Amino acid sequence: METLLIVIGILLLILVFMYNTLISKKNQVTTIFAGLDAVLKKRYDLLPNLVSSVKEYMVHESITLEKITELRTKALTNTLPAGETIALDKQLSSMLGTLMVSVENYPTLKANENFLHLQATLNELEEQISAARRAYNQSVNDYNNAVEMFPTNFMAGFMRLERKEVFSIPARERQNVDVKNLFQK
Amino acid sequence: MKPRLASFMDYYYETMYPSLKILEAKRLQILATLKKMALMLLISATLLCFFLVHNAIFLPLHAFLLSAMSSVLLFMFIYRHECSAYGALFKDLVIEPMIHFMDSSLRYSQMSSMREDEFHQSELFVESYDRFLGHDLVSGMIDGVDVRFCDLHVEKKVRDNNDKEVWDDVFQGLFFVADFNKSFHSKVIVLPDVAERNFGVLGSWMQGINKQRGELIKLDHVEFEKFFVVYGSDQIESRYILSPALMERIVQFHAKTKKPLYLSFVDSKMYLALHYTKPLFEPILRHSLLEFDSIKAHFELLAMIVGIVSEFKLNEKLWSKR
Repeated sequence: METLLIVIGILLLILVFMYNTLISKKNQVTTIFAGLDAVLKKRYDLLPNLVSSVKEYMVHESITLEKITELRTKALTNTLPAGETIALDKQLSSMLGTLMVSVENYPTLKANENFLHLQATLNELEEQISAARRAYNQSVNDYNNAVEMFPTNFMAGFMRLERKEVFSIPARERQNVDVKNLFQK
Repeated sequence: MKPRLASFMDYYYETMYPSLKILEAKRLQILATLKKMALMLLISATLLCFFLVHNAIFLPLHAFLLSAMSSVLLFMFIYRHECSAYGALFKDLVIEPMIHFMDSSLRYSQMSSMREDEFHQSELFVESYDRFLGHDLVSGMIDGVDVRFCDLHVEKKVRDNNDKEVWDDVFQGLFFVADFNKSFHSKVIVLPDVAERNFGVLGSWMQGINKQRGELIKLDHVEFEKFFVVYGSDQIESRYILSPALMERIVQFHAKTKKPLYLSFVDSKMYLALHYTKPLFEPILRHSLLEFDSIKAHFELLAMIVGIVSEFKLNEKLWSKR
């Protein structure tokens, strides 16, 4: 009888440990996602200034600028689930990348101090977003491992926990970033 | 900019050589004194041994041991005394000009050290210690980056197997601090990964549950993860500090130096500790200074230290740090 009680006790302890591990990993993903969201919001806050300061110079990029404004509005008006935030961030990053490449064609804009200031702030925010994406992906990876690996997968099934989506890190972010070049753009 | 060995060689022959001749004369004089002393001590030890045995004060073995040990101790004392005078002169005539050749704005002080509070602030070594000795402090700006470094030796008293008190190293080697190129509020500690390398997954798990240093930060650079374990107080900011580019540079620096490397990022500063088993800037008495090769190693070491700024691109500051 005593042995049976000890075995049940150990099993219960294992269950509690697995449950707590899964919850802590799930919470870790939520916390880091909140951090990521905060940095993304900082970038969204910067966009109206950026758009207004480049609008008068970049007359041929009006479609890109409109698209950026549209994406920003979409991101700020709704409380989006993680998947959509990831998709929006991906689109916006790509749009901003295109915009920054086009800046090369506008020498007067490149000499504008206000724009240079905004560009530098944006570059810094991009570094922070990149760090937040990497942190989010690592936490999702740890969470997904726990959800799919034996024996926590049984507990995860019972708790109805599902796999989460990771950010696809753009190839340029995987490369060694040369800060000097960022400022010469 | 990293100083080049070829241009230093020109500087060595053109500028330093005349003063090195004085130092070389001093070295030869010390060597002659030491040889003379060694001979005298040998003779006196032999005489003492004969005297002790002849007068039956000690057994032959005891008499031999006593005279040999007292001679060795006396010789060690003389050797240290002579070497310290030569070492001080060597630093004045070799190390200081070498540092100024690399960057004339750098300040060098033989007897000064990093402060103990800087050592604590780095949070690299959390063990308690009983002796804190530093010297050869270099400070100033390299490529617009504020840096300070010195040769540091931190020890604690422990008891050995025979319950005898001995000194044990907490850290010995180069201790370097510089302004980091990004502003940040959290802290990150990068240590050699001993546990995971020795115990594999179990080691990694142990690192995860040890919260003494902060949260375990798992990074996405395979090579970096193989050599280092990272603790931090913020998962996101730790990755902001340790960008993929910086991790790559740390791995390359580690491969080049081949020494245990400790790094921390605290209060927008980067602390670097590189473990050495001997003092960094001491001369070798048996090597002639009139041969370039004998001071080449010192130059390469100093060039490596001064080069940390460009190696880690600390001079390429992000906008908010400008």
